Amino acid sequence: MLANKFWQTLSRYSLFCVAFCICLIISFKSLASTQLQSRWQQVEKLGKDQSVYFYAWGGDAQINAYIQWAAEQVKAKYNIELVHVKLSDTSEAVSRVLAEKSANNHTQGSVDLIWINGANFAAMSKHGLLLKDWADKLPNFIYTNPENNPSVLFDFGLPTQGMEAPLGQASLTFYYDTLATSSPPQTLNKLLSWSKANPGRFSYPKPPDFLGMSFLKYALVVLHQHSDAMLQAKLNQPANDKNTAQVLDPLWTFLNKLHPNLWRNGEYFMQSGVQMRRLIDDTELSIGFTFSAPEVPAAVKRYDLPKSIRSYAMADGSLSNTHFVAIPYNASHQQSAQLVADFLLSPAAQAHKQKTAIWGDKTVLIQTSLSAEQQGLFKTVQPHPSALPLNSVKRTLSEPHPSWVEAINTGWETRYGASQ
Amino acid sequence: MSKVLHSADLFSRLVKVTPYCLLALLTIPVLGGLMGVMLPAFGWAPALNKTNMSLAGFNVLWDTPGLSQMIGLSIRTGLISTLIAFALMIIMLAAFFNSVWLKRIEYVLSPILVIPHAAAAIAVSFLIAPSGLFTRLFSPWLTGWQLAPEGSLPYDAFGWSIIIGLVLKELPFLLLIALGILAQPELGKKLRMQHQIAINLGYYPMVAFFKVVLPNLYPLLRLPIFAVLAYASASVEMPLILGPNTPPTLAVAIMHWFNDVDLTLRIKASAGALLQLAITVGLLLIWLLLEKISAMIFSQSLINGRRHYAHQLVRAFTYIVTCVILVFIAAALIGLVLWSVAGYWRFPDTLPSNLVLLHFENAFTHIHTPLFNTLVVGVVSSGFATILVLLCLEAEQITAKPLAKWALLIIYLPLLVPSIAFLFGIVWLQQLLNSQHAFFNVIFVHLLFVLPYVFLSIADSYRRLDPRLARVAASLGSSPWKVFIQVKLPQLFAPILIAMALGLAISFGQYLSTQLAGGGRIATITTEAVTLANGASRRTSAVYAILQMGLPLLGFILAWGLPRYVFNNKQA
Repeated sequence: MLANKFWQTLSRYSLFCVAFCICLIISFKSLASTQLQSRWQQVEKLGKDQSVYFYAWGGDAQINAYIQWAAEQVKAKYNIELVHVKLSDTSEAVSRVLAEKSANNHTQGSVDLIWINGANFAAMSKHGLLLKDWADKLPNFIYTNPENNPSVLFDFGLPTQGMEAPLGQASLTFYYDTLATSSPPQTLNKLLSWSKANPGRFSYPKPPDFLGMSFLKYALVVLHQHSDAMLQAKLNQPANDKNTAQVLDPLWTFLNKLHPNLWRNGEYFMQSGVQMRRLIDDTELSIGFTFSAPEVPAAVKRYDLPKSIRSYAMADGSLSNTHFVAIPYNASHQQSAQLVADFLLSPAAQAHKQKTAIWGDKTVLIQTSLSAEQQGLFKTVQPHPSALPLNSVKRTLSEPHPSWVEAINTGWETRYGASQ
Repeated sequence: MSKVLHSADLFSRLVKVTPYCLLALLTIPVLGGLMGVMLPAFGWAPALNKTNMSLAGFNVLWDTPGLSQMIGLSIRTGLISTLIAFALMIIMLAAFFNSVWLKRIEYVLSPILVIPHAAAAIAVSFLIAPSGLFTRLFSPWLTGWQLAPEGSLPYDAFGWSIIIGLVLKELPFLLLIALGILAQPELGKKLRMQHQIAINLGYYPMVAFFKVVLPNLYPLLRLPIFAVLAYASASVEMPLILGPNTPPTLAVAIMHWFNDVDLTLRIKASAGALLQLAITVGLLLIWLLLEKISAMIFSQSLINGRRHYAHQLVRAFTYIVTCVILVFIAAALIGLVLWSVAGYWRFPDTLPSNLVLLHFENAFTHIHTPLFNTLVVGVVSSGFATILVLLCLEAEQITAKPLAKWALLIIYLPLLVPSIAFLFGIVWLQQLLNSQHAFFNVIFVHLLFVLPYVFLSIADSYRRLDPRLARVAASLGSSPWKVFIQVKLPQLFAPILIAMALGLAISFGQYLSTQLAGGGRIATITTEAVTLANGASRRTSAVYAILQMGLPLLGFILAWGLPRYVFNNKQA
């Protein structure tokens, strides 16, 4: 009897307990969301009416014009003066923040917002140069559907930890001159035989140039497509003394075969992707590649490439990655920078960016998380003949771990850095 | 009367302090900047959590693949380009001394002086590339080429492309400096008279130049030549655009290491900067040695009385070389203009298939801020430099003590120390002082490069002012201030304007210093042009190169035209 009573009391209490816990969880959750809301209100309050120095690569007129457009928008919305500091290499901004840190300038940094990904992000995060835990709290971040979309939470395999807000997605796109070659190679292997038949008409920018490195990574990933799973997995792990030779050897074998048939016999490499584009315009090269597919039709419209240029994606896969914006830990206008980052992530800004006439950079937002009205912003128009046809990327290849960049670079420098 | 005395006193006192200001302004940043690379080179870099002094940076540097090739390339291109530019300047001066052609050649070459190195490199690369204007002229009717052929220029491993670019840029500079020296009323008159006497004694004009004029001229040219040699051995823009990259020159490699995302490479870069410093100093010593040797060899022939060498041959050679250079420069300029308005222009077409103004229109929509920045920084830095240099030279005359030899060396310090070696250190210093005023920082660093050139171009004219005029004015009771303003400066009107124009041109052309000191926030025409040269089309680069030429050219036209206009009016 007593035992029965005891059980009854216990079960009643436990019921209360569960109810209480549920209440607690609900209230915490709403507390958390109101906290998030009030946090954002705070950011809006502090961030208005200030300047934001946005350090971003400035080598493309179309992208510069897009940033100009964004500046007008945030001026109207928050009265923020967005100043585009045009870099020829993003690492210049990295060195700047590092120099400020070494001079004990921890609050008055000159860089407020930086366009970044890959190795630059890895370097900044390793040296603690970035502000943490803000990107995932941006109101527009939910439209990226982060639970089911790891590409906005990982930068070349490294977790972003709220240090970066995604801006767009890019994949390696090839283009060729139809007057010089009628059937461009569709796979890495065919590229090798094509360059044997057309010596001196292909090359790639000298690493550590971003685009040249991307080509080497594309080759590395493709060369391992038929390796066993163990070896393939190593591409997503940090490079170390033990696995480097094993993983990279196929790449060196491939390059040893490719190099004699490259432009200038592989004894000189161009400095950048844009130099490659110029050489294609000069007809010295017949095939090129870019990480920003809309750059090709834009260049044709600006007369920087001939009308006979066509774009395509490799059949054995296209290397793809996400690019982000980040805020240095010592930025002078951290709240204003967050307001700009949130605007860049808004459906309106993302849709504007995706238009081929504007920039053509693929959005990071997931269509299903948008309202019908927001989805309407993304409708497409007739593409340019030189543009990459819609849905040509059949297979995406993900970036290897960022530590491989340095491993490839070091190996390349020892093997090909000093020609005899 | 007492008021005049008092103000004179104040002016004299102010003037006496300026040389010290000038020297401090030049030494502190350069030495501080060197300190800023020396410490990391020996392993002291708190930002990277490295505070142990060691030689690890140098060990990493020695292990760099191709380091000896980099050093060889730097030495080769620096020395050969300076030798060629110097030799060409001398034979051109010799062949055209006292001829109207010298003035004409000067007019053609001086625009080259104000083209920034990056723009000149782009123009040169378009000429000599396999798809360049020269091959287009002969294709396909002679060569049968439908696609650009394979070639080795530019980017050749020996560095000939760099040498061509550097010679074309440095020759006008040396020639202009030499003509500036010869334009001094006293010295110029004396040398021309001596030259005439030698000719009357039966010496052929070129021989007379070598035996009479050159020995008097060369000592005044030594420091400018050193500046050229130091620049050529350590510059970044030309080798970056025209040079090989497996491996590149040492200076280019250092810049890549400094900018690399792997921040520990900065230690190696700092060690490399010190190596670059050693190489440049070594080259200057080699030049001095060559000077001594040639003085020894030729001292006898100066007084051997021979009036005639292979005179006709040298003369013909000079004419041909001069023509080749002028044609080359003309072709480069034509190429630049064509590219700036070119629509589609496929190889092997000699001319663009359509002409458009699109590239200019695009540039003009973005040009307001860079143009404003360029002008403000240029005018402030070259104006301040001119005033400082004038006061400094006046101090020399008031105290009747010429600047010590070491002080002269200090004035040339920013030109002799490779900028790649100390600029990164200066940025670190500016960070340390928490100097947030980008405009001030940029003007300050530009001043380092502008001051020596302004000094170089005024000093001799100032020192050779006829002292009798000033003495007469002073004896008539004029204060030193009045003598300075009303007697000395009017005589120096033309040299001052040319110095200001040169200062403007130097300031306009600065890339690395503007970018680093301004933290990228101060966009000038040059920073825009170099960013675009690395990132956009040759067409846009051509537009910016033309704009870059136009600005300082305006300054030089004013500098040459204004004195004539003013003095003609006075005479009338």
